[in-house]
Amino acid sequence: MIKTAFFTILTLVFFYIIWINNVFAPHETYEMPEQYKKIAEDDRYAKEGKQLFEQNCQACHSVRYDAVYPSAIQANPNLKALQEQYGKVLPRDVYESAFQAELAQLKESFGKVPPDLSTIYIAKGKEYLFNFILEPQKVLPGTSMPAVITGKPEETAKIISYLRSVSEPSSSEKAKRTLMGIGTIAYLVVMGVLIWIWRSRILKRMGLH
Amino acid sequence: MLGRIGKWIDERTHLSDLWRSQMVDYKVPKNLTFPYAFGVMALVAFAIQIISGIFLTMYYQPNVQTAFDSVNYTIMKEVPFMWLIRHVHAAGANFFLAIVYLHMFTGIYYNAYKKPRELTWIVGWLIFFVLLMTALSGYLLPWGQLSYWGMVVTTEIPTSIPGPLGEAISVWMKGGYELGQITLGRFFGLHIWLLPLILLGLVSLHLYLVRAAGISNPEGIEIDKKKEGVPFHPYMTLKEAAYVMGYLAVFFFFVFFYMHHFLPPDNFEPADPFKTPPHIAPEWYLLAFYTVFRSIPNKFLGFVAFSLILLLLLLLPFLDFSPYKSARRRSLFFAMYIVLVISSMALTILGAMPPTPTNAMLGLVFTAGLFSFFLSLPIISIIEWGWYKTRGGDKT
Repeated sequence: MIKTAFFTILTLVFFYIIWINNVFAPHETYEMPEQYKKIAEDDRYAKEGKQLFEQNCQACHSVRYDAVYPSAIQANPNLKALQEQYGKVLPRDVYESAFQAELAQLKESFGKVPPDLSTIYIAKGKEYLFNFILEPQKVLPGTSMPAVITGKPEETAKIISYLRSVSEPSSSEKAKRTLMGIGTIAYLVVMGVLIWIWRSRILKRMGLH
Repeated sequence: MLGRIGKWIDERTHLSDLWRSQMVDYKVPKNLTFPYAFGVMALVAFAIQIISGIFLTMYYQPNVQTAFDSVNYTIMKEVPFMWLIRHVHAAGANFFLAIVYLHMFTGIYYNAYKKPRELTWIVGWLIFFVLLMTALSGYLLPWGQLSYWGMVVTTEIPTSIPGPLGEAISVWMKGGYELGQITLGRFFGLHIWLLPLILLGLVSLHLYLVRAAGISNPEGIEIDKKKEGVPFHPYMTLKEAAYVMGYLAVFFFFVFFYMHHFLPPDNFEPADPFKTPPHIAPEWYLLAFYTVFRSIPNKFLGFVAFSLILLLLLLLPFLDFSPYKSARRRSLFFAMYIVLVISSMALTILGAMPPTPTNAMLGLVFTAGLFSFFLSLPIISIIEWGWYKTRGGDKT
């Protein structure tokens, strides 16, 4: 009994330490005021954020998973034909070969093609993005990202809200998933209990208990 | 009608005889403890990986240009419910390895590797080894930053072998001097075909051997199955079914509510050969080996040390030749088992810490602890043979 308790607690403590000591968690933390966090997490600002993105960021950045391409590519007459052939979200190989000239132009201006921002929200988190967009040089010295909307934290938070809406499922979808999770777990627990009750009945009848 | 169809089939296949002989007439000890259920849980985890993996291959594209998008767009956003399949597969890999580790430690505790079960242990070790290879190869497939750089580090391990051999192995693994399409293609092939097929064969063999050599007993005394055993079905099947339901409930709790933990954020950036991420570390199930490798100052000796640990684990049935079985009745073995458990846990936790001199020192101490467990086994066995003889061959 003591041994069982000892090994159970040891195992649980071990997995708990491994869990909180996650090697892949971000190593730097960034500050973000609560009011802007709320904006970034709110789906309602995503639409406005997209407009702000188009005004401030789209000159160089793409959000391919939302069919948003850098302005020069968006203006290219070939884009529409390609989208009709491959769907709105172009495959990366098609995109990179069809718009080689535009991408090379961007590369020449910045030293590398500015990254696609489809999954950047999950990769970097809202706190990092908030600080980086506001003051790029302070967070990442030497970066070729210009300070486009410095001093406008609310707009920045709205842009982050848009990027989040591309990276993450919407809040209604999240609610659905939560419900699905609760349903699945409840089903498994109920089935487990029922099997256990059924088993003890069978064993009683067999005289094995 | 259904009964008649069933009877028609049974007359030709004799499946009911097989069921009776293998499930009902097959007797197992009544006193099996909870940890014995880790075996069946591992089997369930394996089935989950196979099924979710098959669905993932329908949409995944093993191409350096499109792999990342096929995972993060097609699978995560485009096709309904594929996000769930990916979450199940990613969390499932972690759970599978956790359960396999628990299963191994259970086996060591109850001395389930001893005569007549040596082959069961050896086949189990092979499963563990192939499983690690499968996990490593699968890690590359999303072609994100961590996938890419994790594999760069992994393929550098063989270069610690001096001379041209290490370099040759490294190049052979990568299929070139750099990671690229060929690497992705071959790891895809390994991950979805070769390694799972080997695993399937090994798991079948493992299950057959469990049947052939019998299940061990927590008391360490082989029972007369005809007199003391209980029928496998329904006594064990229903008990384990209930445990599996509990396991799945915990599993799906993490899949639905704590998934971000199993999909590291760095891997949501596409692989970039020109940008090294600041922190590269292996997954938790490799951290113990990683710490051993890292704590020893000489790279080659580090490589030898962690290979030796794997080898000693394989040779466990031959290192321990004591007449007694199960830590329940072996106090010396129990003490060393605690050393083993504490050392492996400490090595894993140290792997997640920054490589300071203190941590390297602690790493060496616990590496020594790990080796002392294996090396103490022959000594304990000799002592216990002495006791066995003075007691006149009494195994209790």
